[in-house]
Amino acid sequence: MTKTLKKPYTIKIGRRLHYSRKLSILTTFFALILAFGVAGVFFAIIGLNPLEVYSYIGGVFTSPILLLESLKRAIPIGLAALGLCVAFKMNFWNIGAEGQMYMGMFASTGVVLLHVYYGLFPDYLVLLLMILGAFFAGGLWCSLPAFLKAKMKVNEILTTLMMNYVAMYFVDFLVYGPWRDPKGYGFPLSIPFPDYSKLTIIFGEFAYGGLLLLCVTAVLVFIILRYSKLGFELRIVGESIDTARYAGINLSKVITLGGFIAGGIAGIGGLTIVSGIIGRLRPRASPGYGYTAIIVGLLSALNPWLILPVSIFFGGLFVAGDILQATLKIPGAAVEMYQALIFLFIVIGEFMKRYQITITRGGDS
Amino acid sequence: MSIQWIEQVLQLTVQMGTVYLLASLGEIYSERSGVLNLGLEGMMIMGAAMSFIFSVAYGHLSAIVMAAIIGALMGFILSILTVDMKLNQVLVGLALTLLGIGLSGFFTFPEIRKNLLLRLNPSLPENMLITQQAEKLQEVLIPLFSDIPILGKMFFSHNVFVYFSLILSVVMWFVLFKTRIGLTIRSVGENPSMADSLGVNVYMVRRVSTIISGVFASLAGAYFFIGFHPFWREGVTAGRGFIALALVILATWSPLRAILGAYLFGGVETFQYRLQLFGLGAQSPYFLAMLPYIITIITLIVISTESIKKKLGAPATLGTPYSREE
Repeated sequence: MTKTLKKPYTIKIGRRLHYSRKLSILTTFFALILAFGVAGVFFAIIGLNPLEVYSYIGGVFTSPILLLESLKRAIPIGLAALGLCVAFKMNFWNIGAEGQMYMGMFASTGVVLLHVYYGLFPDYLVLLLMILGAFFAGGLWCSLPAFLKAKMKVNEILTTLMMNYVAMYFVDFLVYGPWRDPKGYGFPLSIPFPDYSKLTIIFGEFAYGGLLLLCVTAVLVFIILRYSKLGFELRIVGESIDTARYAGINLSKVITLGGFIAGGIAGIGGLTIVSGIIGRLRPRASPGYGYTAIIVGLLSALNPWLILPVSIFFGGLFVAGDILQATLKIPGAAVEMYQALIFLFIVIGEFMKRYQITITRGGDS
Repeated sequence: MSIQWIEQVLQLTVQMGTVYLLASLGEIYSERSGVLNLGLEGMMIMGAAMSFIFSVAYGHLSAIVMAAIIGALMGFILSILTVDMKLNQVLVGLALTLLGIGLSGFFTFPEIRKNLLLRLNPSLPENMLITQQAEKLQEVLIPLFSDIPILGKMFFSHNVFVYFSLILSVVMWFVLFKTRIGLTIRSVGENPSMADSLGVNVYMVRRVSTIISGVFASLAGAYFFIGFHPFWREGVTAGRGFIALALVILATWSPLRAILGAYLFGGVETFQYRLQLFGLGAQSPYFLAMLPYIITIITLIVISTESIKKKLGAPATLGTPYSREE
């Protein structure tokens, strides 16, 4: 009796030497689809129709009002992500954008209070000082772990992350304590910011004033990374510490300064929350924008121009989260879960960019 | 400062420290084999969430088993992505952490949890469906020993997790440093191409070590929830997985030294709560709440100073994937 044997499949994984922009876009697109798919499985587990959930999420991006709302949330996310662009370019794994944003909120509120309570600074200087303050506070908060990494090789992932909790508790302390609004009926809120300490009104709201900051920062980050000496040095440090050392780059100076800029930009992101979106300081004012920014930065491949559209997408997810919570009673954590899935599949997509999988039938290959 | 007070603080120190100890024991194995499991926090919180849901539905045993399974699964995913697909270990770990935080929040959300619990066990009474807490694991007093002043409370009046963690530290230390298996794991982390040429399956060793770290991290979360603090809120582990990561460095990748480090961090946290009770932090508990994180940062700085670093010796290939062709 003879049996016709089917030739077996052979799967070969080979290194891809270069990848096209098309492939890069394609993998990103697939990452989003796959994340949707897996999230759909989780929705199905709890007995929801995934399509219904998707239609709510899709609805955010087709309704002008909700899209505008997404844009609002995109501002702090985008600024934090721009900061991370600088940090990640030099291989500084800054997980601390969240904390740096809180420090930005702290400094900008501090300036407002100094002005309102003690009459320091004329009105027209307040906003400028707030921006400077937020930049410095966020910057210093990030330059500490950067300095520690540069000088003593202290693992920056852990230090930046730990400092998030410290910053968050620090803001908690302020708004529950000395900075609480005396007329606020005991709620943990600062006094409402006077109008001149808020951002420019765009689309009829202070919140969109941050858009100007976001765009200006994107241009600045692009220029710094592409055309400045510092940007050049950052990239070398990011590619290889050893090369940077042989090239005579002052490592601790570059890393600390890069960290300062990265944190400073995130700090400005914090400012856009208190001085734009909320108009006062309250505890836990950021629903994890600083962590979302990590995903945004990677998804836009550290390209400052892509940050804005990608941030709007993630801002939209936050909006969708609120809508889902109100309509389908799904928690906000659903959005966190979906974001994390996108993150995971984007990281997996790196594999597709680096390796080529060929499936052939039969022995020849 | 009565003796009861001291006893209580020391007892809580050990109980709190066990969370860190369990998580760092597994992480020591994966890091020794060269894989940085940065998903520790996510695995820990998933373990806590699983133990919450399953302990309410079926009791403690199923909670522990399910936590171990979910940890193994997450460890397996991490190993496939980092060992086989050679993806960036920092990014994969972070992604898994965020995923764990998101998923745990998702499945424990009151409406969803109620729905899940009903399907797991339709006979559950209404109050169990909406409860935010689980039954705490019983403490097992060791006869005679538990009556010793101070030490009795500190080491002999706990639930089984605490005893197991101590026994495991010794066993895992022995395996890692005194047996062939341990030698294999360490050689894979130090010099994978040499190990490979000697016929060791580098990939398999790393995969298994990573799965072990997943199981331990998840069990640490389960212990934290059903054995120590059985009241659920979102993000209940609050960065303790990351503190455990710092602890692994402090313990210089040794399971025995991890005991000391774990109790040190457990002590800091207990101390912080105790001070709050004393009214010291009544005005602003926020600075005390920062304490564990600040101590972690200081620890990281201290162990990074040159003189100490020389003695440490991290696994040489920690964080770098191994491929044969290179």
